[in-house]
Formats: sequence, C-alpha cells, structure tokens
Amino acid sequence: MRNPRLLPLLFGLTAATALLGGCRHDSDSQPTIGAVTFALDNRVGTQPLALDGTAYTTSGGETFTVSTFKYYVSNIQLTKADGSTYAAPGEYHLIDASKPNSTSFTISNVPTGDYRGVSFVVGVDSTTTKADPLALPGDLNPANAMYWAWATGHIFLKLEGTVTSASPSKPLVCHIGGYRPPYSAIVTAAPSLGGNPLPVRADRTPTIRLSADVLKLFNGPNTFSLSTFPTTMMPSASSVKVAQNYAAGLFTVQRIDAN
Amino acid sequence: MAGQPTSAWRRALAHWRLAALLALGGAVAASASCGKVGELALAAPDAAQPANFPAMVYALDKNTPDPATFELGRRLFYDPRLSGDGTVSCGSCHQAAAAFAHPGHRLSPGVGGQPGARNAPALQNLRWRRHFMADGGVLGLELQALAPLTDAHEMDLPLANALARLNADPDYQRRFAAVYGPGQIDTPQFLRALAQFTASLTSANSRYDHYVRHEAGGELTRQEIKGLAVFNAKCRSCHATDLFTDDSFRNNGLDRAFARDSGRAHITSRATDRGRFRVPTLRNVARTAPYMHDGRFATLPQVLAHYDHGVRPSPTLDPLLRQPGGRLGLPLSAQEQAGLLAFLNTLTDSTFLADARFRQP
Repeated sequence: MRNPRLLPLLFGLTAATALLGGCRHDSDSQPTIGAVTFALDNRVGTQPLALDGTAYTTSGGETFTVSTFKYYVSNIQLTKADGSTYAAPGEYHLIDASKPNSTSFTISNVPTGDYRGVSFVVGVDSTTTKADPLALPGDLNPANAMYWAWATGHIFLKLEGTVTSASPSKPLVCHIGGYRPPYSAIVTAAPSLGGNPLPVRADRTPTIRLSADVLKLFNGPNTFSLSTFPTTMMPSASSVKVAQNYAAGLFTVQRIDAN
Repeated sequence: MAGQPTSAWRRALAHWRLAALLALGGAVAASASCGKVGELALAAPDAAQPANFPAMVYALDKNTPDPATFELGRRLFYDPRLSGDGTVSCGSCHQAAAAFAHPGHRLSPGVGGQPGARNAPALQNLRWRRHFMADGGVLGLELQALAPLTDAHEMDLPLANALARLNADPDYQRRFAAVYGPGQIDTPQFLRALAQFTASLTSANSRYDHYVRHEAGGELTRQEIKGLAVFNAKCRSCHATDLFTDDSFRNNGLDRAFARDSGRAHITSRATDRGRFRVPTLRNVARTAPYMHDGRFATLPQVLAHYDHGVRPSPTLDPLLRQPGGRLGLPLSAQEQAGLLAFLNTLTDSTFLADARFRQP
C-alpha cells in the first residue's frame, strides 16, 4: 500500500462492509441485544439516607428522621438520538432503602446502541396494579407491605419517619398510591442524562447511577413545610402534589459507567 | 427485584416450577387420597350453580375447589393466630349460625377490643360478587381477606407476619405441602386456601328457593306470597335477582351528610359517590342483625320504618327513594310491612346456617 492515506479509507470500507453484512444478517435473525444496570443511591440532600434515627434538615430549617423509604420503578423506557424507543416489558422493581440488594437491578433484552434518554414510572401502571396480585411475581407481591388491601392497588412510594422539629414531634407518614381519576398518582420521571450517551453493547452492560433525594418530596413544583406536611394514607389532592414533586425532581443521574 | 434474575430468567424458572408442580401433583393426589380418609369424612361443599341464581362471577378454574384445600381454608378462617395478638380469627366476627355476620354487634371488636369501622357483613354466595366491602374497594375474593387481616382495628397482622407464622407451624407446613407441594407457604397459597372456604359458603336452600324452583318444601303462606308481591313492587329494583342485590352502590338516605364514612366515595374520590354503599343481599336477613353498614338498626321492623318515613335527603340520595310528590322513602302500610317481614323470613336457609362443614374444626 503506497499511499498511506488510503489505509484508513480501506479500513473504513472493510469495516462498513462487515457492519452492513452484519446488519443484513441480523435483520433475518435476532437483533443484537445487551443489558442496562440501574443503581439507585437514596440520599437526603448531600447526605446518604440512613434509617438509624439520623436527623436531616430541610431547606426551611425543619428536622426529621426516616425509618422507611420504599418505591417502585417500572415501565422503563430508553430513547435513542433518532427518537426510537425501547420499552422494557415486565420490569417492576421495589427499591427499599432498608435492603441494600434492592437498590440496583439489571434489565436485559435491550437492543444495542447509544441511548440519550431514560424514563420510568415511579409506581405501578394501572393495568398491573388492578391485576390479580396472586398472579404477580416477586416485588409486586402484597406481602411487601406496599399494597392497599382496602382499595386493591399498590402503594407506589412510602416514606415514614418523625418530624423532630415539631413540638411535640409528629409522625411523618407518606403513602402515595392510587390510579383512579381525579387522584391518580401514576407519574413518570425522566431524569436527564446530561447529553451523555448510555452505550448498550452485546458485551457491555452500562450502569446508570441515579440519586434519589428525599428532600425533593417536600420541595418541587409544590412546596410543603414539614409542620403541615399531610399524613397521606389514601389517594387525595395532596398525594397527587407529592407525586408531582417526586416525578419532577426525586431522581438525578449522577453518572453513567460504560463498563 | 434487584440482584434477582431478569425477566427471561424468571420465565425459565416459572417453566421449571410448573414442571415441578405437575410432577408433585401426582404424588400429592396419591398421598391425599390414601392418608386423609378419616379427616375428610365431611366432604367439601360442591361448587354447583343454583338454578335460580345469575351466572357465577368467580373463576373456579383459578382456584379449583378440592376437599383438602377447603379443610385448610376452614382452619385458617378459625385460627386466631392470624391476628396481631392472637385473639381474633375471621370466625370471631363472622359466625356460622348468623350467616357469618356478627349477631348483637353494631361494630365488632378487633385486637385490643377496638371497634372496626363498619358492621361485619354476612358471608354468603361470594362466588357471585364482582367487588367486596361495603364500598367495593376490593376486586377479588382472595384479596378480600387482606383487608381485615391487616386493618389495625381488626386483625392487625401484616401479611408477611402471617406467612411467617404459618411457615413456622409444622401442622400448616404439612397441610400446605399436601396441597401445593413442598416449599415455603406463600401469598397465593395462603389466600387461595382461605378463599376455598369463603367461596364455598353458598346459601341457596331457603324455603323461598324451593318455592321458586318448584321443589318439595317450597310452600309459602298467603301472607308470605303477599309479602313477595310487595317486595317485587317496591324492593326488587335494588335487591334484584335471587341474590337479592344488584351489586350496585346506592345512598339509601341514612344521613344528610357522610363525614364519618363516605362509602363508595372513599374509593372513587367522586362527590357523586358520597354516602353510597353496596346494596346488601337479603338472604338469611332475619339472622344477620344489626343492619346497615354501621349496624344502626337492630331489627327488621326498624329497617322497614326507615324506608317508610326515616329517609333523609342529600344530593346523592337514590332517585328511587324520591317519590313523585316530593315525599322521600318508600311508603309501606302496616299491612305491607307485615307481609314483607313474613316474606323476608322465607329467605332463611336453615340447612346453610346449621351446616357442620362450615363450623370451627
């Protein structure tokens, strides 16, 4: 090869031919698939969430402790730059701050490519939550104490603790759920990937690392003071407002590990 | 579940579990038929469709009735260990001789003696129900048990704790394994077994049933037949079919406002559902006092008096309780009330109320 400038060109052509061949081959068999791992880091502002009585302070200067923080992540959708999407079927994950092995999970059968967007329901879709839970697997089982026996449906997010700045201190009880209008609390979160790609390859499973900040339940499109934060144990106007808050700001992408 | 297999894995696992269950099924069937003759001397009730009932709602193939599971369900129903402090069973507030209502209790005490939120309803003909509870919040018979089990004012036991107690008990381990195969007792096993008992509570052999099916023992007196005519004219639009309910939610004028218990609106959050409660069946009604969702009426004459002159107005009052002249309620003469009472007594199914198969083991 005399002209060294031809080398990259030739290489490129060869690669393109190989790739095209690959594509043709793929189109009449299985598409190339990979997987994505989701890792959730539950926090309160800048601090890691601890369920041991650690007191946290809101932006308004109120203090509280957390004993329970659990929520569902489902209906995950990944979007490529060209707008094409992949909706992961059958993925329902209960994130429980008291169970470290519940805070990460992997979805498989994801078509390979670079994804630019991610969204998921914080909770459970109405079809599934209305379904016979005896036929539902693992995380959706009513034994996980994320189910309203009196109204047939899952609790989508549960925060419990104590408002210690109140005098006397008062329980912090926030059970968000409900799929019937006008108080449907089924919301979708779409945290920005910050322009970074989520590269899914057949031989590489990237990890998307998300933080979930408890403070955002009180602060978002709707602002709540802890002294007046409503005890929520059924669908209501205030539970919808809390859901709007966590849809908007609970989740932030910390980084993506290509792996 | 985090750290757990992906959905493909789960599907593969499910196939293997099914294969294992099928294999076990044969062994279990064999052992059940050999080892349990003495215990099953009282056969489980059959799951037949009474000729005068509407079509069954319950899908029998999802929880196929069999004697061993029925017996297991009966034990669960009467077991007080399924309450937080071990004092309250399902049978505490649902008594067989009262069609599984709670005689003499406006509200029933749960653990620690706290009153429940509503009157304990009769349990009968549950295979013909689309939704459960006075507000219809629960969509399946299996699920219904979760409400009293976990309610702080009733049995106050989280489902996970109930499963832990069952799994720690050798007798339950043996009985569940005989039905479902070896392994941990899980939510579907527990709730399906319990539902085999509650689903079997069919009451279809009152004197009225024999009368409409033209069977022996189906003679009604002239007074009762007059009462039936009044019933058909004034009560049937809500207490419809031979289930004696149209399964709808209605405001029957008990109060002017419903601050304490909004009924159906508690589930739907709709103002138009405020004060609406499910129309109850009238089967065995002479035995299921007290009446209404809050047990406010102690006797049937009080109930009839309410419809005659006690109905109170509110925006959601059922239109059938507004008469053309503006009068509220259903005018019932003394003679009509006497006939109705006579007729309602023909709905008592003594065979059902005395059925030894439904009593505490």
